[in-house]
Amino acid sequence: MWSEKYRPATLSEMRNQVDVINRLKRFTETKAMPHCLFAGPPGSGKTTAALCLAHDMFGERFMDAFMELNASDARGIDVIRTTVKEFARIATISEVPFKILVLDEADNMTGDAQHALRRTMERYTDTCRFVLSCNYSGKIIEPIQSRCAIFRFIPLNEEDVAAYVKTVAEKEHVHLTEHGLQALTSASEGDLRKAINTLQGASSLGKPIDEKVVYEIVGKAKPGDVQELLEIATKGDFIKARERLRALLIQQGLSGKDILKQIHSEILRMPIPEKSKIELIDTVGEIDYRLVQGADEEVQLSSLIAHLALAPSQKRSS
Amino acid sequence: MNAPWTVRHRPKILADIAGNKPAIQQILDWLDMWRKGPPKKRALLLHGPPGTGKTVSVEAVANERGLDLVEINASDKRNRDALEKTVGLATRQSDLFGRPRLVLIDEADGINLSEDRGAVDTIVRLVEDTQVPVILTANDPWDPKIGPIRNATTMIEYKRLGLRDALPYLKKICQKENIEVDEQALRLIIDRTQGDMRSIMNDLQTLTSGRKRLTYDETTWLGFRDRRATIFDALKTAFTSPTCLQARRATDMADMDLDMFFEWVYENAPRQLNDPRDLSHAMNAIAQADLYRARINRTRAWELLPYALEMETAGVAMSKEFTKPAWIPMKFPERIQFLSRTRKIRSIKAELGKSIGTHCHISSKRAIPHYLPYIKYIVEKNPTEGTKLAEWLALSEDALDYLGVKRSPTEPPTAPEETELKQEKSRTTAKPRRKRKTAKTSAVEP
Repeated sequence: MWSEKYRPATLSEMRNQVDVINRLKRFTETKAMPHCLFAGPPGSGKTTAALCLAHDMFGERFMDAFMELNASDARGIDVIRTTVKEFARIATISEVPFKILVLDEADNMTGDAQHALRRTMERYTDTCRFVLSCNYSGKIIEPIQSRCAIFRFIPLNEEDVAAYVKTVAEKEHVHLTEHGLQALTSASEGDLRKAINTLQGASSLGKPIDEKVVYEIVGKAKPGDVQELLEIATKGDFIKARERLRALLIQQGLSGKDILKQIHSEILRMPIPEKSKIELIDTVGEIDYRLVQGADEEVQLSSLIAHLALAPSQKRSS
Repeated sequence: MNAPWTVRHRPKILADIAGNKPAIQQILDWLDMWRKGPPKKRALLLHGPPGTGKTVSVEAVANERGLDLVEINASDKRNRDALEKTVGLATRQSDLFGRPRLVLIDEADGINLSEDRGAVDTIVRLVEDTQVPVILTANDPWDPKIGPIRNATTMIEYKRLGLRDALPYLKKICQKENIEVDEQALRLIIDRTQGDMRSIMNDLQTLTSGRKRLTYDETTWLGFRDRRATIFDALKTAFTSPTCLQARRATDMADMDLDMFFEWVYENAPRQLNDPRDLSHAMNAIAQADLYRARINRTRAWELLPYALEMETAGVAMSKEFTKPAWIPMKFPERIQFLSRTRKIRSIKAELGKSIGTHCHISSKRAIPHYLPYIKYIVEKNPTEGTKLAEWLALSEDALDYLGVKRSPTEPPTAPEETELKQEKSRTTAKPRRKRKTAKTSAVEP
């Protein structure tokens, strides 16, 4: 993928997040660093910065002294206890006296795992530095936050995205029209990965990339439409809404929490009486808690859907 | 057209009723006695197994004799006040047009002692004073709770239908439905249902739906059907019982895994409860049941199971308030079918997510929305580029098929072993990115 091919390999190649990068560069110059927490939206350069940092820090020894773990895939307490400890406790003998462990998507770790991590971080500070990345720093427990230098990554602005996309397009000899570039940057919403993936998708057509092509790909890559689900649900076609929900969960692989979150943000904008909104929010909250307790995502969300069907009639009565 | 055969072919006249001729004659004789004023026993108790024609013969008698039939059955409330109101009035007053009246109390043994308080005493009193003929039906006349009723009535027994009665009857139905059914097949159906005409009709309708012919061989999957008959009855109990106690029995009736029973209820609730208010209540109860299940799974506290079962049966039954009665067939849980249909795809997607994740520094879960749509698009629009991508990702045969990737002619793709991948995962990510760009074979080298 081009998003990998053109991923900067060193900090000096990174052109955005200037403040963050400058601070990280100082770490590599002094060959010393604290534990770090990178927080910011997807595609803003957190993982790249972590990789570049390690690369600049270790150079040739990169392989031995660096490990990347994805917390979403290995988020259990077992991984922290075994894999992480195993890596962290063995010291390296070289000019940089520590290793770097990058823990991506750390906000997806369970609370227990985070507490286990906290102790590991403390115990092996001498031999290993942790770089955690997350979308929301709020999901990282306080004790970990207080042990880390926090770096906030801001979403890239349109000019930055456009500049980057243009460079890649030139290197790949892709003809990108002015409108195409505009559509691409605005659709990417500051997510560079999305922008580059869209560009690569569009280039596969082998013709000049205009806005039409861009929108076609953006449409294809759109996650399941929760809004449509809500419309069907409020119309009262429960069976159809349930089928849609099932497709979102099973076929598209959205999590129940993802869908619930989207429904939650839609509720406030729905054309129903304000009182019903509060009731619905209460229901959503209850269901969210149930999902945490391990209840069945489809069953719980369908009970919410059945509840939504009553909203219009509540409007009439109020 | 869609009505169940048990409704469509319900006999309207006595001659159409299969079997139990002596019992029907007894009813007629007893009604004749009423012409000279009330006889000594003013009520009949028709008893016998389900589907032998008890209710139907009362309806046919009323129809043929032009009687005004007042009927209450198990789904009505039957406490003292309710009975007084309906039956009490009926047994004292006559029809507006002066038509003679007949009162039918269906499923008398379904009286619930706590719910229908005082019902038995009230019935006995009504039967002793009644000015019009009263007929009661029951499956089990020896049920102790209706003992007083037994003493106040004349008992008439309905027997299970034999082949001699049922066979000609069914042949007639098949003729009417324009379906050719082997006699052997009919015999098997009758035999399996032990002469329960209602079940026979349900079986026959299910077996012949959408076809013109039914052979003996095709009937043999009744073994399976037999089990479904039980789940249908159990579901009916869960969806229509008037009391919690009755509804609760549904899980005992269903000869199946309790999780599977839950799926059946969850699938069919929106079909059976056609009013959104009722459905919302029912889904609430079902979600509660699910929550109890989740708690049981987490804590192994199996003593919580009764709450789950009662929510998914009684909780659903009690949700029914505005739903209009209709006959809607039960459906096999679609979710189960959907899951098994999509199992392969889902495992391929999981694998794809893993491959993408290791190569693109992202979790396998997020790899799917962030990369898969683009990869799919590239494979579709530019196969050469797609093949290169797939090689870089070191995808398995299944994943290549799923994406529709053309195989590269020089190098037949050899998927690395699953276990190898796992072991190597941490190390592959530890390599500098420049190296990773080389052929996939190097990615699995230790």
